[in-house]
Parts: sequence; C-alpha cells; structure tokens
Amino acid sequence: MRKLIIFITALLILTPLGMLVYKSQVLDLSLIPQMVDDVWNVHMSMKPKGDLTAFSFPIPKSGPGIKVSDEKVRSKDFLVFMDANSDSKLATWSSKEFIKRRVSFSARIDLKPLMYKNIPKDFTESYPKGLEVYLEVPKLLPEDVAAIELLEGAILEGTEDKTSLVRKIYYYVEEEIQRNTAIKTIHETLNSGKGSPLIKAKLFNIMARRKGVPSRIVVMVRMPDSKQQKEKTKLRFTFANEVFLSNRWVPIDTNRGYFAERPDNFMVVHRNYEEVEKIISKKAVSYSIQAERARINRYNKAEFKKAVLKTDSIFSRFSLYRLPLPLQTMFTTILLIPVGTLVLCLARNIIGIPTFGMFTPILLTLFFKETSFGFGLLFFMVVVLIGIGQRYVLDKFYLLAVPRMSIILTFVIMLMIVYSLTAADLTSISQKHLAFFPIVIVTTNIERLSIMLTEEGLLNTLKTLVGTLVIAILGFSLYSIPELEMFMFTNPELLFTIVGLLILIGKYKGYRLSEFIRFRDLVRQKKKLAGESK
Amino acid sequence: MIFKELEELGILGINNRVGRYILRHNKREYYPLVDDKVLTAKRAAAWGIAMPENYLVIENYGSLKNLHLKINDYDSFVIKPANGSQGNGIIVIKEIVREYVEGKPERILFRRSNDKLMDIEEVKHHISGILSGLYSLSGQSDTAIIQAKIDKHPIFDNYSFGGIPDIRVIVFEGYPVMSMVRLPTKSSDGRANLHQGAIGAGLNLSNGWVNNAVIRNQVIETHPDTGHQILGLKLPFWTEILELAARCYDMVGLGYLGADIVLTPDQGPILLELNARPGLAIQIANLAGLVPRLEKIRKDAPKDLLSSQRVEFSMKHF
Repeated sequence: MRKLIIFITALLILTPLGMLVYKSQVLDLSLIPQMVDDVWNVHMSMKPKGDLTAFSFPIPKSGPGIKVSDEKVRSKDFLVFMDANSDSKLATWSSKEFIKRRVSFSARIDLKPLMYKNIPKDFTESYPKGLEVYLEVPKLLPEDVAAIELLEGAILEGTEDKTSLVRKIYYYVEEEIQRNTAIKTIHETLNSGKGSPLIKAKLFNIMARRKGVPSRIVVMVRMPDSKQQKEKTKLRFTFANEVFLSNRWVPIDTNRGYFAERPDNFMVVHRNYEEVEKIISKKAVSYSIQAERARINRYNKAEFKKAVLKTDSIFSRFSLYRLPLPLQTMFTTILLIPVGTLVLCLARNIIGIPTFGMFTPILLTLFFKETSFGFGLLFFMVVVLIGIGQRYVLDKFYLLAVPRMSIILTFVIMLMIVYSLTAADLTSISQKHLAFFPIVIVTTNIERLSIMLTEEGLLNTLKTLVGTLVIAILGFSLYSIPELEMFMFTNPELLFTIVGLLILIGKYKGYRLSEFIRFRDLVRQKKKLAGESK
Repeated sequence: MIFKELEELGILGINNRVGRYILRHNKREYYPLVDDKVLTAKRAAAWGIAMPENYLVIENYGSLKNLHLKINDYDSFVIKPANGSQGNGIIVIKEIVREYVEGKPERILFRRSNDKLMDIEEVKHHISGILSGLYSLSGQSDTAIIQAKIDKHPIFDNYSFGGIPDIRVIVFEGYPVMSMVRLPTKSSDGRANLHQGAIGAGLNLSNGWVNNAVIRNQVIETHPDTGHQILGLKLPFWTEILELAARCYDMVGLGYLGADIVLTPDQGPILLELNARPGLAIQIANLAGLVPRLEKIRKDAPKDLLSSQRVEFSMKHF
C-alpha cells in the first residue's frame, strides 16, 4: 500500500515535469509565450488659432520602427479626411463653421528601436524624382553660405562617398554645436556655435543637401518616462534628421547623439518638417500630446498558439490556447486556484495557521483578485463587522438561523449596490460581473465567526481571522506573478504535479509548527521536573 | 530539528492523530454513533451504559410550540445540540422560576448556571438555533436534546466553580490511555471547557490521583476561585470510571475515542458523551505525550480482552 502510494505520487509529480522537458527540448516550444513589447496609448488634441473652417495636423503613420493601430479621430462635428503619402500623414478636420473646439486624435502605437549597422559606402549620383525635393538647399544669406563653405573645406575635404560625408557632418553638428534653445537662426548658429534642436537639425539638413545627400527633418515626440506618465506631462515636438543612404532612410539625431539609430522612445509624427512647418508652429495651433504605456496583451498568445498547433502533438490537441478568449481568461485565473490550495494546505497542515472554513481564504483571494486588494480587504472587514453586529441586533428578533443568514447576505448585497452607486471609479469592478460572488459565499461563514466570538473568545477569533487573511494574501500574491499564471495556463498538466504534492502534504504526520508553540510550556515544565529530580 | 523535544516526549500532534490513529482506527460509518447524542443515548441504553436521561428530543420547529407545557414537570435541565462539539450550544438551566398570578402560571423564567435569566422566548430561540444547525459539526440541521441536569458530586465542591466537572478518558482500541478531569472556573464561565479557561487536571491512570493541573498552558497548584490545592485530589469510583470508558469502545467500535464521564452524587460515574476526535490538550494537563502509550497498546496489548481486563492492563502500565 505504502509503495503504491509512493509510486502514484512520484508518477503524478514527475510525469508533467517530463512533459515539460519534452515540450521544450523535443517540440522546441517555450514554456511560456514570449512577451510582447508594451505599446503606447497616444492622445493628441489640437485647436487652430484664428478663424478657420478647415485645419490640418500631422498624425503618426506606420513605418520603420513604428506601428499605428486603433486610430481614432473625433469627428462628430467635423468632416475628417486623411492625406497620406508614403512617409507621412495629415489629418484635416473641416466644418461649416469656424473651428472653436479642440479636435483630437488617439491611437495605439507600437515602437521598436531602429538601428542600421555597417552602412556601405554610397556613391549614388542621381536619385528618383520623388527624392529631388529632399535635395533642394534652402536660400541662405551669402555670408552664411560663405561660412558653410569654409566649414566644408575644413571638415569634409577629400571625402568622396556619401556615407562618410554624412558621418562627418553628423559628428560636427553633434559635437561642435552646443544646444541652446534661445538661438533660432542658422546665421546666429554659424556665428556662435550654439543652436536649438530644430536649428541643429536644419543645419545638418543644409549641409547634407549641399553635398547631394537627400535629407529631411523629422518631427517627433520623445515618449515620457514613468514619472512623466504619472504626472501626465504634456509632450512637445522635437526634431531629428533622416538621410537617404544606400536606398533607405537612415535616422540621424544630432541632438541626442544617435547615428543610424533611433531608440524606441521616439515617435515620429511627420517625416518632412518643411511640409508642416507652418501647420505646427505656435502661431497656428495650440496642441497637446500625451502618451501612456498600455500593458495590454503582455504575452504574445496568438503567436504561441500557432507554434503549439504547428507541433501537431497531443499537447496541441489539449492546449488551452484552443479555447475562445473569454474562457482562456477564466482559466488563467482558475488555474492558480490549485496552486493556492497548495499554499493553503502548507499553511494549515504544516504551519498550523487556523482559518474560517476550509476554502474561505481561497474565496477571499479570488475576491481580491477580481476587485483590488485594498478594496477587497475593506469590503471583507465591513462584511465581518456586519456579521458580528447582526448578532446584537437580530438576536432580539428571535429569528431562525437560515433566514437570519439570508438577511446578512441580503445586507451584503445592498452594500454592494450602495458602493456601486456611490463609487467614483467603477472600472475596477464593472467589467467583472462575478467579482462579488466570492464574497457572497464568504458571508455564509461569517455567522460562524460570531459564534466563535461568543464560544471561544476574542483572542481565538482574531487569530483565526488573521490566519484567514494571511493565507488569502499569500494566495493573492501568487496572482502578482504573471509568469506563474502564464506558466500554469500554458502547461495545465502541472495540475497532476499539484495533486502529487497535495498527497505528500496529506501524508505528512509530523508536527505542525504551531504545535511547537502550543506544547512549548509542556516541554519547559518537563525539563524543570527532570532538573529537580536530579 | 526544532521538533526533537516534542518527539522525545512522545507528544501527539494533530497530523499524526488524524493520519495514524483516527483515520486508521475509526471507521467513518461509526461516527454518527458518537456525533449524534440521540443515537449515542439509544445505543447506551441497549448496552446498559448509564447516561443522563433525555427528557425531550426536539426535531422540528413545530414541537417548540407547547414547550412550556412539555417542561412543566422539570425543575432543571440542560439544552444541547445532538451534533454539537466542544460544548458549543449547551445551556444549563439550573432552576425554573414559575410566577403564578391567581393560581395560574403567568410567566416562566429560566435561571442559567451562570445565574442569568432567560424567558421562554429566549429558550425557544436558542433551540431553534440548534435545529437550524448553528452548532452542529457539519452545519446541517440538527436535533435539540433537553436532558436531565446532572448534580455535582460533593467531592468537587471545593474544586469547581459553577458547572459540573467532567472526566475525559482517551480510549485506544478499548484500552484507557490517558485521562484528565476538567474543572470549571470563573473565567471559563462555569463551563468545563479548556479553551475558555477551565482547569485541565491530569489523572494518574493507575489510581485516579490528580498529578498535574493547568489552566490554558500554565501549570497551577490551586483552584483560582476556591483556593483549594488541586494536586492530591483523588477521584472516587476510579476503576468504574475507566471501565465505563473502556466499554464505550465495545459499544461504538471506534478505536480512537474520547469518553466524557461525569460523577453523579447518586449513580456514580455516568457517560455524558463520546468524541471521535478528542483534543490534544490532555497531554498538557498530564505533562505527558500520548504516543508512547498508544504505541504500547499497539504493540503489547492483547486482543479480545474483556473491558475489565483491559482496564487492568492500562492501570498497570500507565
């Protein structure tokens, strides 16, 4: 019998672990899906200055390193149309009356870093027609032209290929021109060696074009860091360049020092500043841009599903990824319950923490999970108080126990209604229709709490209450490990391992940690007696 | 290992009690015989084991209607749930005060053991709480018993505050293995409940002498309310008490059993109730572990002895 139990337990624990090895080594599946990069929720709002019936503004467009989805342009009172070329996009709002309200654009933006290594030497002589516009050198004062020619003589002498030219111009503008936002013309910059980000981009642009390299200024936004996100900092446009080298646009940033590279915290809004210069100037528009990281869909489940199905193994047939999404979400939550019971069994049978009812802590955990920890705790406390308080009030009515319990239950439901009607922020509960169900079940255990209070006293009741909460919190902390959730969801066969571990705990006949304390005085007395008799 | 000392003393822990003794030696099918006090009483009557008389067994709310008529003949009684545990839900009525107006009963008041008064509505309310399962082990609907109140044996006059002391005997495979007497105190509200602060006094199994006493976990020598020396108290009818406990094994067939016995002034020891999951605090009261005794029985005790022979074995060895 003993051997059989050991055999079954070992089988239960080891088989799923073997499957994990098989999946990762033979089928070459990862044990949890890969993370998807976080995306940004970007919101822009604009209002034209002056009386206009139509108004345009650049909006981000998908391209290298940027993917735009879920575009929303508020258009209730406006006619909106988009004007897109291969690189950039303009939205135009028009109305019969003057535009007096802010118009807005929002989208989900996925940014990826761009980096081009080892750009080959480029000796291109002629470019397609579409690029000619990027070779036109703006008109400059003759003395500025002379100054630039002098510069070129000093830094570019003898350089033939365009890649090297661009690199040298980049080094010059990046290192020699100090950042100074007060200096806003090429003329001043050439004289003082200082310039604003826009002027630095303009200077680079001029110098590249003069050497026959197609170049443009890109309008972009630096994404906020987490502190700025919290403070909802408004973002401003900033500028960098792109040059056309060996048949593609290569990002250059002389302000932040990136050559052939753009990190993923810059969002390009428009790729030709000259086109939108007037539109985005402070004289024409007041705009505000906000961005926030959205942690949706952290795991690339879709890709993983494909990979699982492709293996065409038994695992693909029994994969939870086959289920419709709502069921998947449900099982992601539910599969942690057995892990929670493991914690519960450890706490009760090995440590000896007392709890109300067998599964009350688990139900509380679910309640915390479905609402939020702070709210869940508060609500539970209120339910406990109702449970205790009702005894003093309802005792005088001499009600039978079941109707009495039902009254408490009804009270709790009323409480939920009152909360829902008065709470300012309902987002935490509104989408989870079963969020309150666990607490309804917990309520039925509350009567036992008040009996315990009268039968066993405050101290024991508090111990049990705290024990219940501690286990619920431990269980809840499991949910704060998204990898664990994903791991169980991806490899549900681990449930057998849990059963095996539960058998092990079930067979544990040793002392509980709490008994060490319970019998401590006995041991002490025994020692004292032994000492006296010697 | 922090548990080394516990192991050396042979302390029985909860997991071990359940896993090695209760699950192995107590068949589930026999549980109702001890969990349901009505069934225990019936079985005991058939076996000639004395228990307090059940005046009334109330199974449904309807029979609460004429409760005052049904208890007309009694001056005192105890209300308890048939499936209760740890003394929960038990109310002792030590006196019934009947007020008469012009020869007709006008009002009945019930004086509890702690001298609080209840009226008939409160009594009915308590009973209906029992019926709806408030105090039952499983939380399912229950039966209420109105039982004869036991009087205190004079030997306990100086050792008990309020209620009746009871004697717990752990019986393993029919052999008494450990025993204690629970003495009510003021802080336990007159109940023989160790949780609430009653005294647990370990009894020497061979002669019925108190050899140690504790309140909660603290060793004491005198009763906190009466000031009387507890060590040295010797229980009368000791062999009879152990035999009564040992016979309970024959009666219900549970290998690991707690028998709660009370001493009456006139009948001697009678059985109050049985427990299929007796607690472990008895080890603290005795300053001794259960494991060596249980293992002694398992290894050395002969099978198929009469209850009196088993008691003899226990008295000799423990």
